[in-house]
Amino acid sequence: MLRPSGPRAALDNAELWAGLFWLALGAFVVFAGRDLGTGTLAAPGSGFLPFWAGLLMCGLALAVVAGAARHGGPAIAWLWAGTRWPKVLLIVASLAAYATVLDVLGFLVATVPLMLVLLRGIDPVRWRTALPLAALSTLGVWWVLKRLLLIQLPAGIFEIG
Amino acid sequence: MDILANVAQGFSVALQPVNLLSCFIGVFIGTLVGVLPGIGPVSAMSLLLPVTLAGSPEAGIIMMAGIYYGSMYGGSTTSILVNIPGEAASVVTCLDGHQMARQGRAGPALGIAALGSFFAGTFAIVALMLVAPALASVAIAFGPAEYFSLMVLGLTVLTFLTQGSMAKALLMACVGAVLGLIGLDSITAQPRLTFERIELYDGIGLVPVVMGLFGIAEVLSNIERPISRQILDAKITQLWPSRADWRASAAPVMRGTLLGFFLGILPGGGAVIASFASYALEKRLSKTPERFGRGAIEGVAGPEAANNAAAGGAFIPLMTLGIPPNVVMALLMGAFIIHGLQPGPLMMSQNPALFWAIVVSMYIGNVMLLVLNLPLVGMWAQLLRLPYNVLFPLIVLFSIIGVYCSSNNVFDVYVMIAFGILGYLMRKTGYEPAPLVLAFVLGPMLENNLRKALILSQGELTTFLTRPISAACLLFAAVLLVFPLLPSLRRKREAVALDEGA
Repeated sequence: MLRPSGPRAALDNAELWAGLFWLALGAFVVFAGRDLGTGTLAAPGSGFLPFWAGLLMCGLALAVVAGAARHGGPAIAWLWAGTRWPKVLLIVASLAAYATVLDVLGFLVATVPLMLVLLRGIDPVRWRTALPLAALSTLGVWWVLKRLLLIQLPAGIFEIG
Repeated sequence: MDILANVAQGFSVALQPVNLLSCFIGVFIGTLVGVLPGIGPVSAMSLLLPVTLAGSPEAGIIMMAGIYYGSMYGGSTTSILVNIPGEAASVVTCLDGHQMARQGRAGPALGIAALGSFFAGTFAIVALMLVAPALASVAIAFGPAEYFSLMVLGLTVLTFLTQGSMAKALLMACVGAVLGLIGLDSITAQPRLTFERIELYDGIGLVPVVMGLFGIAEVLSNIERPISRQILDAKITQLWPSRADWRASAAPVMRGTLLGFFLGILPGGGAVIASFASYALEKRLSKTPERFGRGAIEGVAGPEAANNAAAGGAFIPLMTLGIPPNVVMALLMGAFIIHGLQPGPLMMSQNPALFWAIVVSMYIGNVMLLVLNLPLVGMWAQLLRLPYNVLFPLIVLFSIIGVYCSSNNVFDVYVMIAFGILGYLMRKTGYEPAPLVLAFVLGPMLENNLRKALILSQGELTTFLTRPISAACLLFAAVLLVFPLLPSLRRKREAVALDEGA
């Protein structure tokens, strides 16, 4: 959660960058709404609400940016000071890798390594716990979904599961 | 007599073995997610949303409802024994509940939390049964202008009560509304913001958005710092509160029940706000307010009753108006919609068996919860010993499965990861996810009603102000928007602003 801090140099202000991000997104929505066609008040078009919602986003984002410029905000590095951010990156990277290979390798082959990375890579669980837990949780979920609930899971190129 | 006949019909459906089993699974999972920190009712419900497709609408919705009110019971166990709230509505229970546990009074604290919750939950169901039909008959007269204004009010109340900057909360509501509009326009069938991706033509799924913003983001935030838990080793004895405990708790339970129920009905309100408001009320009314925070049983009884009553009250706007008042109810609405049902004023007349079965199942669920939470409290306490480094991989696994099963498409897993990163960064920079999710659900309905109202009035914006209910909603929303601009009132808002969700 954001905590107040003293004024910072404009370029090292997380509040400012976050506001600018939303401002850019708002501007994009405004243009997208205009391209879709706003119509008239009596016959609003597909872009009517996106256009006005985008304008509102821009206004609110500008208020955030103005507040950040006036009162300052936390430095970007401060938000991650003293945290275990590499562990966060590891989880995100392993999830992205998992999503990439899920259809190719199939649920069973892809999920066991993901569970092992999560169990061993963050706050390492002992191998003798991690291995059975990774295998049994994956198999258990697969069995419940595939056999009991008849939900299709990817079998992958090896056609396992 | 009508009500008795309806209740009898509800019992005939709710007592069917498959529905009883669904109710039990729901309250069991609810208690479980309430007990376990790091996973809340929102994550659990979105996880199980696809599973409900496997059964009948009654069974699925009874289970989803059970998870919500079950989590309100379970949350107190973690607060009292570990001093970590199992879910957001039990934050205040930590203050006095854990102090009672440290003084060797964990039993009465857990007992009054469960019994107070049972009383409040039962009251809320009876009130829901009496109020809902009357309100539904009024709601039939609502037109698009009233619905639009009511949704604007709901979003404004939620942004008003969200912690931190109101500009940021409103910004999140706008972002949520725009995300909800992605896909084919419901009136012109024109693709909007789809980037020519076929997966986006049906819009972004609710499940990956919620699982990302609440499930994955919560995991990423928790992983940043090692979580240390100190579980009290003392044996839990004498769960039944003493006569003195009952004397001290009776009035707080009743006040908490009434307050929670009314706050639950309000759009944008919910169990979290109710529990904080009840704690503040009890402290203010107490002749010895200095005991609060040091193990006062009133500080457990009032808030726990309030959050359960609010959970029951929150069903009223959804069932009678078709408008979810908070994120959890938005998910429940998702469950209705995936079964081809539209909650709202017509549901009671078109699908009375379903409506009354849900209401009656809540009676049954409340009794099940009392049994699950009093005699079995030791079992839940043992669960707290499950370390987070074992728990979080399971949360991630269930999140992936929940998302994949909702669409059978890996694209939604990518969406979940993206929203997980977004949610994590939002937490870092002080943006709350709750207004985004509620607006995401309400966005398409809000747009539909806005456009219909404008078409019907031939472009007259005054239609929103000439209709009394619509005007009253917009006026109230405007007052709430102006409120934080006044410095003295801003401080008051900050005092009641809360962290809704997870």
